[in-house]
Amino acid sequence: MKGVLVSLSLVALAGGVSYRLHLRQERDLLIATIRACAQLFVVAVTITAVFESLGLSGLFLVVMFGAAAWTSGRRLRGVRGAALIAGASIGVSSAVALIVLFAAGAFPLEPQFLIPIAGMLIGNTMTATSLAGGRLRDEIESRRAEIETRLILGDPIPTALMTYRRRSATTALIPMIDQTKNLGVIALPGAFVGMVLSGASPAEAAQVQLVVMFMLLGAVALAGMVTTALVARAFVAPGDRLVPPSIEAAGEI
Amino acid sequence: MNKGRQFALETENLSLWRGGDQVLHSVNAAFEHGAVTAVVGPSGGGKTSLLRCFNRLEEPDQGRILLDGVDIRTLEPSLLRRRVGMISQQPVLFEGGVRANLTYGLEHVGRDKLEACLRAAGLAPAVLGRDATALSVGQAQRVTIARALVRDPAVLLMDEPTSALDKDAAARIESLVGDLLEGGLTVVLVTHDLRQARRVADRAVLLVDGRIRAAGDFDEIEASWPDFREGDAGA
Repeated sequence: MKGVLVSLSLVALAGGVSYRLHLRQERDLLIATIRACAQLFVVAVTITAVFESLGLSGLFLVVMFGAAAWTSGRRLRGVRGAALIAGASIGVSSAVALIVLFAAGAFPLEPQFLIPIAGMLIGNTMTATSLAGGRLRDEIESRRAEIETRLILGDPIPTALMTYRRRSATTALIPMIDQTKNLGVIALPGAFVGMVLSGASPAEAAQVQLVVMFMLLGAVALAGMVTTALVARAFVAPGDRLVPPSIEAAGEI
Repeated sequence: MNKGRQFALETENLSLWRGGDQVLHSVNAAFEHGAVTAVVGPSGGGKTSLLRCFNRLEEPDQGRILLDGVDIRTLEPSLLRRRVGMISQQPVLFEGGVRANLTYGLEHVGRDKLEACLRAAGLAPAVLGRDATALSVGQAQRVTIARALVRDPAVLLMDEPTSALDKDAAARIESLVGDLLEGGLTVVLVTHDLRQARRVADRAVLLVDGRIRAAGDFDEIEASWPDFREGDAGA
């Protein structure tokens, strides 16, 4: 508790400086601080209950997954079946990683491991799904003439869309690749810091951090691939052509 | 419709809806082998949509299209599109050289063929080594024509191919359309400009509000679209 109060004094200091310099950030700082305290309090209470039951853990994961699919689905607005695509991408990539990790015994199948690991997976694959799907939607909409030229020249539609799928999947993967490449160099990662602060040796913390990073890298890459495959499919109409743009977007008919 | 005679392209009762609006209304039209047929009419009349149905970039809701008497829905779309080439209003070239653009998606195309197609499109063979993105719009449009010819199409669809070009570049494209017929190519030219259609095409189809108003020689077209004489049909 003492630590919290000390760290809070830093926020108060920032608020004071803002007031003194007329930066008008005091209100935002106050709201953010209150929200963070309230949200973390609720999460702590909930997780304490959830950690005591595998069934409740499952329910908690379903809620987390539903929220992630809904959030990412909204980011993919304009894509047919956006929420389903987001749900499939987040669900498949997270589930594959969870099954592999827990079936292989990398972590014991207990709520205190399942919840945070699944939370990280769902959060990261949600971001990857939004990034990859949003980028591919934008590419297809803005490069329609180019894609149709590829079709006109005899490309089957999977080939015509491959360049854009590749670019979009890469977009989703770049943040994770950069994080993995710079692991421990630019910033010390959360799991590592948390374990060391909890008294684990740096070697143990490093080992767990590597498991987490590789797990996330694999899941995010998979999410990018699944998302781009499904989003591309949503833009394909029978007869190897693109789904017509909306009437508003269409020019000459 | 000329019974018993086979056309390069025929449409039978072609109807197309888009977002609740009917774009084409039971269109019946025929396009002769080895001729330039213009599809004319005011903007928004469905000309581009009709053209896009010919290579299945649009799928009609009713009716069918025959290519040499064969329903195009029975053909693999990618094979259909190599037989029915298309030139768009705005030339689209991919990053890279002209050669890479001409041979896009193809294997083993000889230099002789590439040069012959460039010449047929009114370009010097030296263009082959140039960067495609550094060409003028007129040159780029002629490269797209050469790119279509490399695929040995039976039919070439041209959608307002001069609309993005200046007068001189447009005149050069117009003058080479007739030359394209030498190899037996069938050309369907969409234009809102009846004067251009008369200069380039053998016959025309007049499409207004998604309906065929007239088809045949230009006297028939003019008779069905008197505005043409007053200059409303294009510059």
